[in-house]
Order: sequence, then structure tokens, then C-alpha cells
Amino acid sequence: MNRLGELERKVMDILWDSMGQPLSGREVADQFPDRAYTTVLTILERLRRKKLVNRRSENKVHVFSASATRESYMAELMLDSLGNASDRDAVLVRFAETVSPEEALVLREALDRVTKSPKRSR
Amino acid sequence: MSLYVGALVLAACSAFLLWPVSARLARARWVVRAPHAAVALWQAIGISAMVCGMGAGLAVAVERFHRGFFGGLSALWSSVDSGHPLVGLGIWDALGLTLAADLGIVLASVMMFVTIRGARARSRHRHLLDLVSSRDADARTRVLQHPRAVAYCVPGIRPRIVISEGTIELLPPSELAAVVAHERGHAVERHGLVLLPMIAMAKIFGWVPYVALAPVAMANLLEIAADEYSLRRHEPRSLASALVSMATVGVTPPACSLGMASHDVSRRVERLLSGQRTSKRTAAGALAIGTAVLAAPFLVLVAV
Repeated sequence: MNRLGELERKVMDILWDSMGQPLSGREVADQFPDRAYTTVLTILERLRRKKLVNRRSENKVHVFSASATRESYMAELMLDSLGNASDRDAVLVRFAETVSPEEALVLREALDRVTKSPKRSR
Repeated sequence: MSLYVGALVLAACSAFLLWPVSARLARARWVVRAPHAAVALWQAIGISAMVCGMGAGLAVAVERFHRGFFGGLSALWSSVDSGHPLVGLGIWDALGLTLAADLGIVLASVMMFVTIRGARARSRHRHLLDLVSSRDADARTRVLQHPRAVAYCVPGIRPRIVISEGTIELLPPSELAAVVAHERGHAVERHGLVLLPMIAMAKIFGWVPYVALAPVAMANLLEIAADEYSLRRHEPRSLASALVSMATVGVTPPACSLGMASHDVSRRVERLLSGQRTSKRTAAGALAIGTAVLAAPFLVLVAV
């Protein structure tokens, strides 16, 4: 991950950890003592363009909040990864598809047989 | 020999490759001994069938020049170049030209469409991944804080290997390392790129036996190729055991889907446990056949 990505991640963490309470740019920037205020604002704008962050005005001050929870993004990733790879435009290649219960039984037995037998398979 | 005859031969070649040859290769059992060569053979069949199809169209279109195929092509080009591409074009010439051009244009545009869509989906996935995942100790693998066991690779210029906390929980360290190495195999050998054109074709030519069979067969072969990559450093038994654990975790009897993929897992486990490995001779044979398949349309075109 590049440095920008790392910053985006930290900003998202701050917004997620604020318990749904929208934060002003200043409040977010206060968490980054070693970063310029404008840098943090740029990051917030970038995230807004990517629709990861919402912005609205509260008493003439822009406040930012995460547009979805960390859990819902996690759920989206898991859905992606558990979906059928062949119809998901090769988004990813998964290690193992799930097998049927009958097959699971057969596979376990085959594995046990080999693991218990003294001779090695290679 | 007339170019019309050549066109017929090419059309027949194309149909032969797309149907009986593909069906035969999909059933072949030797492929597990030479997964990479078998993937190349599938690619060769697809490319050759495409060249046959386009060649047939062009052969019909250049018959009117009476200069053979390649002479006819250059004559066609000079007529295009002089700004009068349609002069003297009969109905058959036009049909042949349309067939050749359409095939090329349709394939190219669908490929582009699917590439862009896939790239977008991957980019979103990667982005979210960067936001919510943590990195493991060696900083090369992403870890998702999720109890469900998954392991996968997001293809791309900089591929990401992802495992979940559920996987770390489920597998002993030796098996986990074997799984990560398997995913690394997908990443290093760029398996996403191999599958991409297959997925693109499946969108429009799904009724062609080759297009229906090749993506599934190739995906399975690429899994075996990644298994082989993992075996360079890890025990087959670790990988087999990890496969069984990952494929059977959380299996619930009623709502479970049955498909080709599940048979694929059994075949992979069987293969790992039986000690069956790759064979250079099988690979060489497959590559020789692939070369012949690729050369066939050009031989026909030279002959006419």
C-alpha cells in the first residue's frame, strides 16, 4: 500500500471509531499532528469522490462521516470472495470451492487413510 | 484449389476444433499431468478456431482477385488503400468480409468491455481491502478480520493474497503456508489474465461448446498449476489437508450447491495424495499438438 493509501485507511479508521458522530475536517486533522490540515482535507475529499465518505454542512462547517460501516465493507468483500469466480469477471481466484457433505466425508476418509499409512506419498 | 474450397475447409476446421476436439479435451484425463501445457492447448484451440473463422471469411472475400489467399489479401489491401474498398464487391465477397470483420470487432470490443468491468470490480475490491484488512507478519498477505475461512488472490498488476482470520484459526501453520503459496502461484503466473478472454467470450458465444467448456476446464487446470507451485516448497499432504479443511468447513447439508467445482476439489485432493506429478513428456506432447493446431489454418491458406 502506498503512503496515500495508508493515510486514507487511518482517516477511515477515525471516522469509523467516532461511533457515527460526524467529524469536521479540523477534528480529523487534529488526530494527525504530523500532517498539514490541507493534506487531511485532500484525503477526505478523495474518499468522498470514491463514495466512501459523506460530507454535509452543519452550522456552516463541513462535517464528514463514513458512508458505510467497516462491517458492511467486510461483508461485501466476503460476498465477493465466496461468489462463483467464473461469473464475477475474474475478480479473484479462490482457494477451494465448498463441497457437498457426502464428498466431504469421502475426502476426510481418504486423507485419514494416507495420513495414517506409514509410507509417504512422494 | 479454389479459395471457396479453402474457405469450406477452414470453416470445417473451425467447427471441428470448437466442438468435437473441445469436448474430447474437456474429458481428457492426461491434462492433470501437464496443467500448463493443457492450458496452452486450450488457448491454441481457441486462437486457431478464430483464425479459421476469420480466414474463411477473408478467403471468400478475396477469391475475385484470383491470386490465391495472400496475394488476394494484398490486392484487397491496395483496393482499401486506394480508397475504393467496395469496388467490384459481389454479395459473397461482402458477406465473407463482413464475417471476418465482425468476428474481429465483436471479439475485440467484448474483450475490452469485460477487461474494463473486471478492472473496475477488482479496483473496488482492492480498495476496500486496503481499508479494512490488516497485514500479516511478512507484510505480503492481507488478513480479513472475519471468522469465515477464505483464501484467495485478487489478480492485477500488483496482485493481493488474502486470507481471513477464520483460515488462520482453522489451519495449522504448515498448511496455512501451503495455501498462501498456492495463492502466490496464481499471482506469480498471472492466472487472472489467462481466464479473462475466456470470460469475455462466454458472454456472447456461450452456445459454442468450446466457450462453454474451456473456462471451467482452464480454471480447474490453473488450480492444479497453483497446487504445483505450492508443492515446490510444501508437502503435498499439507496442501491436501488444507484443501479438505477449507472445502468442508461450514458445510451444511440442505442448501449446499453441487457443481463442477466440488468435483474439482476431490480431483485435486486425489491427485495430491496419490503422488501423481507433472510429466515433461505429456507436456511436450500437448505442446506439439497445440503447435500443429495453430499451424493448421495457415497451412490450409498457403495450400489454396
